[in-house]
Amino acid sequence: MLFYSFFKSLVGKDVVVELKNDLSICGTLHSVDQYLNIKMTDISVTDPEKYPHMLSVKNCFIRGSVVRYVQLPADEVDTQLLQDAARKEAMQQKQ
Amino acid sequence: MFHFQSFDDDCTLEEEEGLVEEEDEIDQFNDDTFGAGAIDNDWQEEHARLAGLDERVRDEVDGAGDASSVDLSLSGSNAHSSAPPQPSSSSRLYPSIDERGGGDLAESLTHLILGSDPAIAGVGAASSDRSLRPLMLSGQTPQPSALAGQSSLLLSYQQQHQVMHRGPAPLSQINSHSIWENSMGFSPVSSGLLTQKEDKTLMSIIKEVGLPNRPPALSREEGRDFSERVPPPRSSSPVIGSPPVRAVPIGTPPKQPMSHVHTQQNNHPSAIQHVRASMPLRYPPPFPERLSPNNLLSIASSPLSHSPFPAGVGPVLSQIQRAQLLNSQVGPFQRGPAPPLLQGGVGGFRPFFGQSGPRVGLHGPPLGHAPIRHNTTHLHPQHRRMLNQRMQNRGLGDHVGGRGVGDRKNRDPYSNLMTQREKEWVARIQMMQLQSTDPYLDDYYYQNYYEKMEKRQERDRDNRKEHTTKLITPQVAKLEHTYRPVQFAGSLGKLTVSSVNNPRKMIDAVVTTRSDDEEKREKQVWNKRRQILYTVEKMYSLLLEVQDFEKKFLQTPEHQRDALLEQHKTHMVQLYNSLREKEWDDRVSDKQCLMIMSVRKGKRLISRLLPFLPQPHAAAVVMGIARNLPALAKKDKHDQVLCWLVEPVTTVIQSMSSTSLTDLLQELQGSEGQLPLVLQNKFGVTLLYLILSEGERMQSSDPNCQLMDDNRWTELVFSVTRELLKVPSSALSSPLFTPPNLVSLFSRYVDRQRLELLQEKLQITSLTR
Repeated sequence: MLFYSFFKSLVGKDVVVELKNDLSICGTLHSVDQYLNIKMTDISVTDPEKYPHMLSVKNCFIRGSVVRYVQLPADEVDTQLLQDAARKEAMQQKQ
Repeated sequence: MFHFQSFDDDCTLEEEEGLVEEEDEIDQFNDDTFGAGAIDNDWQEEHARLAGLDERVRDEVDGAGDASSVDLSLSGSNAHSSAPPQPSSSSRLYPSIDERGGGDLAESLTHLILGSDPAIAGVGAASSDRSLRPLMLSGQTPQPSALAGQSSLLLSYQQQHQVMHRGPAPLSQINSHSIWENSMGFSPVSSGLLTQKEDKTLMSIIKEVGLPNRPPALSREEGRDFSERVPPPRSSSPVIGSPPVRAVPIGTPPKQPMSHVHTQQNNHPSAIQHVRASMPLRYPPPFPERLSPNNLLSIASSPLSHSPFPAGVGPVLSQIQRAQLLNSQVGPFQRGPAPPLLQGGVGGFRPFFGQSGPRVGLHGPPLGHAPIRHNTTHLHPQHRRMLNQRMQNRGLGDHVGGRGVGDRKNRDPYSNLMTQREKEWVARIQMMQLQSTDPYLDDYYYQNYYEKMEKRQERDRDNRKEHTTKLITPQVAKLEHTYRPVQFAGSLGKLTVSSVNNPRKMIDAVVTTRSDDEEKREKQVWNKRRQILYTVEKMYSLLLEVQDFEKKFLQTPEHQRDALLEQHKTHMVQLYNSLREKEWDDRVSDKQCLMIMSVRKGKRLISRLLPFLPQPHAAAVVMGIARNLPALAKKDKHDQVLCWLVEPVTTVIQSMSSTSLTDLLQELQGSEGQLPLVLQNKFGVTLLYLILSEGERMQSSDPNCQLMDDNRWTELVFSVTRELLKVPSSALSSPLFTPPNLVSLFSRYVDRQRLELLQEKLQITSLTR
């Protein structure tokens, strides 16, 4: 549940999601679930609008498996805490 | 059929279907329309005639026209139609009239009316039709002359209506073609003949009934309820080891309470016939073994609150809102076993804007033995506040946009494919996976992140303690669903029967963990850096344990606290052991220390470890650092993260005794040439200043301080000042911060000239911070 917890702390922040089909979507993270499916609001396609079919879309739901990257605001992330969480997770799994 | 459609504008195709479904009605109407009953009745002719009648009646009512003219027109219209069917049709239309001839019209009419129950429109129609039939047939008495018949027809038409108005709902009339005269008769007649009250009753009834023969089973709720679209029942046979098959398939979204379910079952006779619910749906005990997602989550429900999210997003209701909605409707309603996904620690769909007031909701009887599960989908109050603010800011700007989105939503042809309940049910199942037994572990990042943020905010606001909000994850009682495969006593092995509800363990595998030594040997760590990292990680895990100690301590019950304390001490010892020299207790191994500190992670580790170490140990560590500072500085050239150590080191220094302080200073100076190197490094300079400042503080605050007992301190300070003056400014790096009391320190030891020089060099004045 590490990344679910991580993304939960980013709810309400602006992120850019790059998909495996090279589409980049910029918007506000609305919610996330255990599969890391992402719901975003107020989206806009970041790259030059070579995806005109997205012009009218305001909210979207992205299946977790098609995400390649999620670009986050750096100051919203506590790397130390993330490292600790990862360590704990590793310890848990070992047990 | 056509009659009905044109009769009522509100009639939809639904009515057609409804009519089709009722076998009785079809036959009847078929007969009436096309069969024996209708013979060769041209409805259009009839309609025209009646329309003409209607107008004439109106004229009659108004007092204009006379019967004769009406008769004439009637006869005229009737002349078009064939003579033979006329009497029969008229007889059919007004069976009562023909039957009587000149008899008691009212009597027969009331008989007719009372014979059929107006409440059962459809059924009543059928029966009344049937009742009409024999009347009709019997009414094939010698007909009066066409004219006379029509005149009587006219009169009796009026009378008929009179009677009908007085009687109960003349639904019997409605079902057949007599609808026409009814509807048309009402409007003109009502104005004149009826009292207001009767008129209202009848009209209301007409409106209410609309069309006859609407089967009661089809009465639908407002806004198409698709709950009839039940997923096809699973054709599972009762299997040993399976949970008992229920009449309603497992996984059916909840609908209305019990009665409706039964109705529904009746309507779908094609449902599981072969395995009908041998056991009736029973009401669950106060805390059933199996709970549907609804019940599970309704237990952990919180009060409804309006979601501040913009409407454009759609029906993203808070999970708890859904739970509330369902909670009010689905009472103690058992719906089969909960989906076998009750694994702890797996996330689920998390709604936006969780609830206000996260409260611990354990509404059932407390289960001491069952592990408590926590709902991790609740947002930290701090987080919620932030989101609210953001929403408000957006809302002010997007006011117009929101409305536009709303318009778009209104015209959405694909909305309402699922009912609200269905949506909630699906979301609820996902939510269930989010419950974990140890939210602190599973949700570690989120919880700590917001705690830290709160602490930071508190600090920024100068310790204004409004409220330290804590995130409370509401608890939900977990119910264990351990499946025990069916085993017969004395048999070998287990049954091979398995289904989706009880997947059978194919292999009884036992997990064997390898011990640490083995692991070490096996890994054959040869890479030094790797080894360092490995050591660091091990220390980290110990450190995390130590960090959590306090929290755990508060949570464990009394009798276990000693054990926990012991464990804690062991951890601490281990941690220090990894740092210190093999033989000496109060000296940190240089080699080890250097090794660890050569990695960025290691430095971080030390900085976090220092606050936890007891004083002597911590002092030893700081000494070690000071001793090896040049080497450390060299290694840190790339990372530049030594400054992480400043804060913890400050704390340590401030708690040091004077002797140790002197020792520290000495260590820092170390051998020849160390000090310049130290001064070149930012951290080194900072450290130096810290030490000096601390010494000064000690001297000025406590006149009896032992700092001046031996000359070491003075000498050391002298040498420091000498060095400071000697070192070129370029080689002197600026510290992180300059303690204020340095000036006073130096003023003790150096003369005025040098003091000024120093001040200039170090850019310290009595006012600098």
